[in-house]
Amino acid sequence: MADFEIRDLRVSVEGREILKGVTLDVDKGQVHAVMGPNGSGKSTLSQALMGHPAYEVTGGEVRFKGVNVLELAPDERARLGMYLAFQYPTVVPGITMANFLRTALNAKRGYDGKDKTKAITPKEFRALLKDSMHTLRMDDSFLSRYINDGFSGGEKKRAEILQMAVLKPEIAILDETDSGLDIDSIKYVSEAVNALRGPELGVLIITHYTRILEHVKPDFVHVLVDGRIVRSGGPEVADQLETTGYAEWGVKEEPVAAGQLSGQEEA
Amino acid sequence: MSFSLKAVEELASLHGEPEWVRVRRRASWAAYERLPMPSRSEEEWRRTNLKGLDLAVFEAWEPANGGAPADSIEDAAAVLRQRGSEPGQVDVGPELSAKGVLFMPLSQAAREHSELVEQHLFKGVDPERDKLSALHGALFSGGTFLYVPNGVSVEKPFVSQFWSSGGGAAVLPHTLIVAGDGSQFNYIDEFLSPTLETPSLTSGSVEVFAGRGANVGYVSLQRWGNHAWQFADQKVIAEQESTVRVVNVGLGGRFAKTRVEAVLHGPGASAELKGLFFGSGGQFFDYHTLQSHVVGDTTSDLLFKGALRDTARSVYAGLIRIEKGARRSDAYQANRNLLLSKSANAYSIPMLEIMNNDVRCTHGATIAPVDPEHVFYLESRGIPRASAERMIVHGFFGQVLDRIPVGQARELVESELEARLG
Repeated sequence: MADFEIRDLRVSVEGREILKGVTLDVDKGQVHAVMGPNGSGKSTLSQALMGHPAYEVTGGEVRFKGVNVLELAPDERARLGMYLAFQYPTVVPGITMANFLRTALNAKRGYDGKDKTKAITPKEFRALLKDSMHTLRMDDSFLSRYINDGFSGGEKKRAEILQMAVLKPEIAILDETDSGLDIDSIKYVSEAVNALRGPELGVLIITHYTRILEHVKPDFVHVLVDGRIVRSGGPEVADQLETTGYAEWGVKEEPVAAGQLSGQEEA
Repeated sequence: MSFSLKAVEELASLHGEPEWVRVRRRASWAAYERLPMPSRSEEEWRRTNLKGLDLAVFEAWEPANGGAPADSIEDAAAVLRQRGSEPGQVDVGPELSAKGVLFMPLSQAAREHSELVEQHLFKGVDPERDKLSALHGALFSGGTFLYVPNGVSVEKPFVSQFWSSGGGAAVLPHTLIVAGDGSQFNYIDEFLSPTLETPSLTSGSVEVFAGRGANVGYVSLQRWGNHAWQFADQKVIAEQESTVRVVNVGLGGRFAKTRVEAVLHGPGASAELKGLFFGSGGQFFDYHTLQSHVVGDTTSDLLFKGALRDTARSVYAGLIRIEKGARRSDAYQANRNLLLSKSANAYSIPMLEIMNNDVRCTHGATIAPVDPEHVFYLESRGIPRASAERMIVHGFFGQVLDRIPVGQARELVESELEARLG
């Protein structure tokens, strides 16, 4: 039995079935990539796994630590050890990154505003952030800014990985983390993800392009087309895709190797 | 004793006021009797429902009553405490007195500093504007007078705390602030009562006269109980090069209507008008604001933010008026509303009257529920939904909270919000 099991997952959005039975096993210590063309259901997979209310699960199971997480609220999934790095992190005005991170950490530690011994101390908080912020080339001023407010595309993605580093999930889903990133940001983000890799973390990288996989080497690659996994294998699957694209599954002219680096943020 | 000319006379005697105050009270009473109840056919009252307000049920004033809570703002220059409708108590230390600062109940000031008070009282706020303003003019009870002489700076805030625990009566304090040229200080009016069964009628009107180059912060913390009908008129007159910052915090009352008006009267004057209100249950808030640029080279900056839960409702109407000669006026007005339930609702009516082309003027209004993407984002990091919503509302108010000039007042508002969001 794998640590994180997706069994025949079916998800609809506004009454339309997008995921038509996805099955996938991720063990801690492994990095899996799910690749697919536009519209294949990649983002639906990541949002549904985290429990976004707009994504209606119509069938299947997702088991993690012995529970079907589909029955849990998003915050419960997170506290269980799941993490989603968003493709489009939202701007939340009025809440500083520091306050946000501290609250999230405290929630994970079971601090509900009462038992102060459970709350993270300022010193611990600082220590926890220091190394990751350095790896991601983020300075202190970032902490006093509002959540993602005025962040560049690269800063937003780096902030997602910073949160991951701080919250230390056991299963992390990285949704198109490389899209819209300049070459430096890709480097910093990959470095940070690689630093987090280890026996206590399973990673699911969701991506259209092979680019990020050059920096974060996957152990397994799955191809998602039209809501189904159509091929699974080792890193060689990504290499194949890079030459043949998704044409094999009737998808035309979608480059898999990202040629140009900037300006490809998907709308 | 219910509202009557006899009550007006008796109140003036009780407060030991000089004859000229009594004469003015009588004039306001005559206006009260003459004026009709505001009707929904008038633009200002179109969405403001006075149904359920019966002026005949109220006692004309409330005797002093105990049970006041501990001081919430401790680190103050001086605190005036008023209980019910009776003149408050205040101890102004020798240091402030030596500087010529006057801080005392309004009735005492009318006796002891008659000329100064007479020059200003009701010269900003119009006591015949409508029936309820006239009632306040006739029966204002207690209140505060603050005078800070030219060039005097006071670092700690002046605080007036108005406490009512009676119910069934009118509690109508009036604040008069006269800031000398180049003076600097902050002032906080705190209105509070427990929520009672019997409705009460309250005001909390204020006049601020800011002399040349004065720098004045005024905060109104409205925490009347949810039994109160509140009608307040606030007026700021800003002279040349003065800066006035007004923050309104509206948390209490079953019905709370507040007019917030700033007149930029001298070149270089600037007014910042900020407000936040949080309504739950069946509370209703009405804010009518005016940024009046009488002369040029003046600035006004307004932001009112409201969050409403349950079946709470609000009306915001704001007017920027720029007179013909008021060149290079710079005016900003924004009203943002956050609806926390499907049954809550807010109206927002921004208005402009601009008689000069050489101005900068921006306004905007939004009414929206909490963005589910915001909630999901916070939840996805392990923050429970209720906490996430609390953080979002708190964050929404951040821009206004940041502008509360006194740290302790800000903390007080934050903990009040926390408790109300709880």
